[in-house]
Amino acid sequence: MKRLLLSLLLVTSFLPASYAADNKPEETPAPKIKVGDMAPDFTLQDQNGNKVSLHDFKGKKNVALAFYIFAFTGG
Amino acid sequence: MQAFQQNLAKLEAADTQVLGVSMDSRFSNQAWAEKIGVSFPLLSDWGGDVTKEYGLYNPKYKAARRVNYLIDKNGKVIEMQLDSEAIDPSKVVQACEARKLGR
Repeated sequence: MKRLLLSLLLVTSFLPASYAADNKPEETPAPKIKVGDMAPDFTLQDQNGNKVSLHDFKGKKNVALAFYIFAFTGG
Repeated sequence: MQAFQQNLAKLEAADTQVLGVSMDSRFSNQAWAEKIGVSFPLLSDWGGDVTKEYGLYNPKYKAARRVNYLIDKNGKVIEMQLDSEAIDPSKVVQACEARKLGR
């Protein structure tokens, strides 16, 4: 009985670790651009069809660049 | 993006331009911007070239990860928040305000 309890305890103590591992974004590697890097320039179209480039703001403003997953979702 | 819109006045006061980016089409972004009242640019990275250049492409969703960058006036990244950390923009707002004060 003692043995059974011990093995049960062992099994359950491993559960949280494996569960956490399963939830990790295993297929998403670390971002290429990190703090301290120069942000690569881009030119993209906004919702009104205007072209917007990162270099438009160089020397003028900071840029808060917010990547989001999909339109029509929260955040 | 709603959270950035709510903080837009603070960010603009701290010399910061907000740009949203996703792999949605421009028309999807247009409809969404109208629906939720976003007044800053939502940029369409159709095809994902920019998303991939930044290393933010998530193959599982075939979309960008949720990431906030704060880029200074010289083009250097000074703040980054990933995934769930990137929902609340208050860290970005604080960093902008600190810079405005001449940290």
